[in-house]
Amino acid sequence: MPERTAEFGKYGASGIKGHEAVARRLDALADFIATPVTTRRGLMARLHYLTRTPHARAAAYDAGLTVTDRTLQAWLAGTRSPTKQNLARIDDAYRAVRRRNVARYLLARLNRAGRGTRVEIHPLNQSGVRPSHQRVVELRTLNIRHWEALVAAWSTGDDRALDDAWIEQIVDLGSQWGQYEYVTNIGFAA
Amino acid sequence: MKPQFEAIDALLAAARKEVELPPAEQRRALREALDLSRAQVARALGVSPSTVGGWEAGRDPAGDVRERYAYFLEGAQAKLADLDAARQAETAAHTDLPQVGPAMSGGGAATAAKPRGTADQPYPAPEADDVEDLGVPRPCVLCGQPARHQVAGFPQHLDPAQCATTAPAPAAPAKRLQGRTAETIKTVPAGRRVRTASDADPIAAAVAEALEAHEGDVDAATAALVKRAIPDAMALLDDCRKGGRYAIVAHPWIPDILRKPSARGADQIWEARPKWTRPELPSGTHEVTALDINGAYLSALKTHLPIGQLEHTAGNHHDRRRAGVHLITPPAWEHGAYLPNPIGNRDEPGPLWVTEPTLRLLLRLSGPRYGLCEPPQIHESFTSGATESLLEKFRIALKDARERALAEGDEVTLEYVKAMYSKFVSTMGESNYNRELYRPDWMHLIRSQAFANLWMKAHKAHDEGLTVVRAMGTDELHVIGTWRRVFAEGRGVFEAKVKDVYTVGTATADPAAAKKPRTEN
Repeated sequence: MPERTAEFGKYGASGIKGHEAVARRLDALADFIATPVTTRRGLMARLHYLTRTPHARAAAYDAGLTVTDRTLQAWLAGTRSPTKQNLARIDDAYRAVRRRNVARYLLARLNRAGRGTRVEIHPLNQSGVRPSHQRVVELRTLNIRHWEALVAAWSTGDDRALDDAWIEQIVDLGSQWGQYEYVTNIGFAA
Repeated sequence: MKPQFEAIDALLAAARKEVELPPAEQRRALREALDLSRAQVARALGVSPSTVGGWEAGRDPAGDVRERYAYFLEGAQAKLADLDAARQAETAAHTDLPQVGPAMSGGGAATAAKPRGTADQPYPAPEADDVEDLGVPRPCVLCGQPARHQVAGFPQHLDPAQCATTAPAPAAPAKRLQGRTAETIKTVPAGRRVRTASDADPIAAAVAEALEAHEGDVDAATAALVKRAIPDAMALLDDCRKGGRYAIVAHPWIPDILRKPSARGADQIWEARPKWTRPELPSGTHEVTALDINGAYLSALKTHLPIGQLEHTAGNHHDRRRAGVHLITPPAWEHGAYLPNPIGNRDEPGPLWVTEPTLRLLLRLSGPRYGLCEPPQIHESFTSGATESLLEKFRIALKDARERALAEGDEVTLEYVKAMYSKFVSTMGESNYNRELYRPDWMHLIRSQAFANLWMKAHKAHDEGLTVVRAMGTDELHVIGTWRRVFAEGRGVFEAKVKDVYTVGTATADPAAAKKPRTEN
């Protein structure tokens, strides 16, 4: 049993990397602004979030929104509207800042004062695999008590660190953990 | 006009003066003077301990329970008076008698020969100042059998022959064992210590706690309980799944048809909510009764729920052991003039995604027993292995609490239970109010089951000769006719409640005009 899958999907299985599913779930829990940035409402909501305080403005600058205050004022006043690239930058900066702001509270909720959170790991989808090549992979659950590394990697957007932190956790599944490198879904509440 | 006055007369005749109860503070004093716990009294009266607590805090019971409670309080007063008299007589006897106590308790034969039946008469005590008589026997600290005396606060038998631990009788071991097993308390580990396990169900405990926290303020307690209904329902669900065969899969992968496209948008599932009004009624005046089906969502928790992740299949095939959502072309419905369409009033033609209860209802109606429509055509399905018993214990716990609350007139518990099951159903999908459970499929299935149940009720009414006028929402059924022979009236889950009575139709002064065929209009 190899620990990491070399050629995923060779026999028709489908799924996503475990850490991607974790990031998705954390993103869902972070509650981003639902309205897309391309609408005026969505744009204004994001700009207000990023310019509410000097601290937020600095965080936005760090997150890649390197435009002058004059430009920001013009966007907020509606006299100018951002270009397509700048719209993408605003959205990215908004997500990064929001993740960083939420991380502290999310971490406390996930660690639950040391009791941890129960995580459901739904195995990869084998419906495209020839029956003779299908394997029994069950739904597994895992109680994760230390979320620090996972949340830190997610809030800084460091994919590789998130992957490492996730693998660090799922080795607790036992020798079968390699089967859960790719999953259909990972669910937990916070 | 006449029948209305008769009804009022009957109401007045049925109303009677309620029994007087002693004031609230006395109720507690009476119970405690008899050394009875709330639970004991509650068991005897057939109510929950929290209810007894509420009565002692100032609430007043109503109906049959009030009479039973009044009887208990009266009895308690009488008993206390008796005990007081006995105690006075006894202290008088103690001062009269010489100190024979030590000799009797030390000596064997005379006391051992004394039959147990004389226990009603108090034994003489060895040291009058340490020993007290107990009005109500309490378990002896030595043997566990009921003893009528206490020495320095410890209930015990004064006579060794009475005490099973020291009695060297041949049957002693068996007796002792019986004494031990007869009165046991359940214990659970609590940290490094042991405490008694609380058998009280979590619902009653939560209600008692809330009432205590708000000092008997019913409105405040209800508001507090409704606020914590969702986490409490989840805790109850967890509690009910102990030892269950299947674990609750709370966060499965969800197909796109079950995902909401935006926060306000609806997914593609058609829940078949009935919204039907009978298009035509025979001429004349009709008295319509609007019936309300009690606890519709509570009953609907019993439905075939998919356990795990939904899997996709295609083809016109229904597996009874699986449940989920199905894309079907519904059959044509030709009975709209007197029965609602089981798929609700859908404006768009063509295939639609329905849930398991709707599909099962359609399959049932197309079967030989009903023969009301053609079978639906299934195109594709997302299903998983199903069981009807997944939420069964949860449902029964809530139903029992609801029934108890109804019997006792306990509005706090009633509101709390209602909030628990209704919020549980409405937030089990993609709701931010309940992140422990992401099962939009279950939410749709349970709702559809409630609608299917309502449809079956409408059909039953029609079958029994009533005229069904409207079927709408989750639990509303308007009928014409003597509905009481079809549905029992009440607030129980199997009963119906009258919401409204109204008349419909043209009131014609001339009966001949009413009989005339409608040719003009």
